[in-house]
Amino acid sequence: MKSSLLAGTVLCLSSAMPALAIEKADVLVNYANMAAAKYTDSLITARTMQAAINDLVANPSAENLQAAKDAWLAARVPYQQTEVFRFGNAIVDDWEGKVNAWPLDEGLIDYVDASYGGLSDENAAAALNVIANVSFTLGGETIDASSITPALLADTLQEADGVEANVATGYHAIEFLLWGQDLNGHGAGAGNRPWTDYAASDACTNGNCNRRGEYLIAATNLLVSDLEWMVAQWTDGGAARAAVTADQDAGIAAILTGLGSLSYGETAGERMRLGVMLNEPEEEHSCFADNTHNDHFYNGLGIQSVYHGTYTRIDGSVVLGPSLSDLVAETDPALDMEMQMKLSHAVTALSRIKTAAEAGFAYDMMLERGNDAGAALIMGGVNGLIDQTRSIERVIAVLGVDGIAIEGSDSLDDPEAVFQ
Amino acid sequence: MKTCLAICAIAFLPGVASAQDVTQNIVNDHILPRFDVLAETGQTLEETALADCSATSEPLRAAFGTAFDAWVSVSHLRFGPTETDDRAFALAFWPDSRGATPRTLATLIRTKDPITQSADAYADMSIAARGFYAMEFLLYDATISTFGDDEYRCKLVQTVTADIAKLTQDIATDWQNSYAGLLTNPSPDGPYRSDLEAKQELFKALTTGLQLTSDARLGRPLGSFDRSHPTRAEAWRSGRSARHVALSLESLRDLATHLAQHDPPLQAELNAAFARAQTQLAAVDDPAFAGVANPQSRIKIEAIRSRVEEIRAIVRNALGSSLGVVSGFNALDGD
Repeated sequence: MKSSLLAGTVLCLSSAMPALAIEKADVLVNYANMAAAKYTDSLITARTMQAAINDLVANPSAENLQAAKDAWLAARVPYQQTEVFRFGNAIVDDWEGKVNAWPLDEGLIDYVDASYGGLSDENAAAALNVIANVSFTLGGETIDASSITPALLADTLQEADGVEANVATGYHAIEFLLWGQDLNGHGAGAGNRPWTDYAASDACTNGNCNRRGEYLIAATNLLVSDLEWMVAQWTDGGAARAAVTADQDAGIAAILTGLGSLSYGETAGERMRLGVMLNEPEEEHSCFADNTHNDHFYNGLGIQSVYHGTYTRIDGSVVLGPSLSDLVAETDPALDMEMQMKLSHAVTALSRIKTAAEAGFAYDMMLERGNDAGAALIMGGVNGLIDQTRSIERVIAVLGVDGIAIEGSDSLDDPEAVFQ
Repeated sequence: MKTCLAICAIAFLPGVASAQDVTQNIVNDHILPRFDVLAETGQTLEETALADCSATSEPLRAAFGTAFDAWVSVSHLRFGPTETDDRAFALAFWPDSRGATPRTLATLIRTKDPITQSADAYADMSIAARGFYAMEFLLYDATISTFGDDEYRCKLVQTVTADIAKLTQDIATDWQNSYAGLLTNPSPDGPYRSDLEAKQELFKALTTGLQLTSDARLGRPLGSFDRSHPTRAEAWRSGRSARHVALSLESLRDLATHLAQHDPPLQAELNAAFARAQTQLAAVDDPAFAGVANPQSRIKIEAIRSRVEEIRAIVRNALGSSLGVVSGFNALDGD
């Protein structure tokens, strides 16, 4: 043990020697390589899911539905690790809503339970049910939905009426079509859509099985083409790669913006803490599939991966190169150790949620009012993520890249934008 | 230790003293008095509800308004004691884009959930049914304020206000007893390792407060020109939307001018920018921002938002570098 620790120390020391100075440009190239690998893995697993979904719709059966669900779960593993690229990279952030928008008013897409309620104050299309209606009115316009195409989903239904909860595309729309609503409240169990929702003629349950299949295939094809587009942005000559490598300080700032925003505001805040404080099972990120514990865990792993500059691909091969960690260690080795330790604590806390959930303590059970053990598990993850954000702020100060970060992708950076 | 501090203070008098003065002044002039007022008005609100719990009670509505004012005036100070045990979330769950507050209150009232029996038990309740925004529904929403059993709803009002009183008192106590010291005396083991980190916290409070006022208080009802959302305005049921913008600007101006005290030209620039926003807001006679749907009145509310964005630009481009702090992250990052 002692000797291996010593070896570690020697390695650390040698990497901090001036002769091996870390170039920001190399860190950025490795960052872009990791993004390319993660999006490529997301695309590969999405194509596998596409094949399984085509099988399900062509030959509906319980086995084929399960195979499609398994493929969806596998596809989430690399994708959730890409979310760390989202904030800070405008190209990713502007696109992300198409593939991972959440939460959604699922009544827009298909039938829902009576307990779902009808249209809400915020969303007149919350119970539209496109699958059951070949024609309907949306924002005052009559829409012909006799054919459910990727264009209908992307151009007409997605964020219809300016409401973000109108999510017609992406992983969570597909998740709903595979699992259905989770009607177990705080109890164990995910959505339980019967495979016969895709069955032909008389065997069809809940009506419109052909249109449901059509919707599922359209949404899946769209997801695959959106991922193809994002892979292209990160390959050599791609726009996202060019943007992040164009200006070194801005590129490093973009990395850090991604790390901090995903840690604090998005995962710890919007997705985790709010659910505990509201005791609301609908606040689960993957509420249909009950896969929320994995969503959070792989977010945390993705953050850690970017800091360390290494990503283990779905085929086991490893992307590895100069990292932010190397860069920080060069200037402030103690801060680098602090950062590594905090990332490791957060991932451990998130893995506690994952292991408890996989052993049967479902995420919706953790969210129930008065469930102190569940709240403590989730808050452990929240606190780990918030704590690491403080160290990320210290990294920004040490590297001197503040003031370069893009404040956000919305037009409000321009004071007069509201008049346009 | 004390001797060392004294020597250090003498040795580095100009720099250190002025840097720590900023934090000390803000704690003494800006933070502590505001949290004291919040605790006092929270206490009065609880007592008033005990005397008369009816939704139309004028004394109760007045006490609610006074305490809510005090909350809005500290709503940018989201660190330390407000974050312990999710206190600020419990006091102020907004925006509520999925309608959790009316849904949760209606369920409580319909099922006569016994959790309302004491403020202690109520601490386990969903934040959607706690704090000022839940109280607004109980007093001003046409459906919720008359829904179900009068006796149960009365108890609910008394429990929610008792919970508010306890939360606001706990925050004030923590500030007085410990957090003011942690912020003004940075230490390697404390939450702030240097005065620069303490100042960064205060700077972030300013940027976060401005962002909340611009994006949520003004941006949510404004929506887009084609699709405005008057019912997304903050506290529109009690006609407090514009008042909240005014209160927040007043507080944020005080904080901004304190942060810029070492830089008189910048301080003057900030003062002028805040004054422009406040003057334009005072000229808008639209308490609930209902006018966002009308092109003529909408433009005035858009103009206020532009003024707030101008303040944000000064803060982002000049104040941060003048203080030597980085902007950092806040809970509003993400979507």
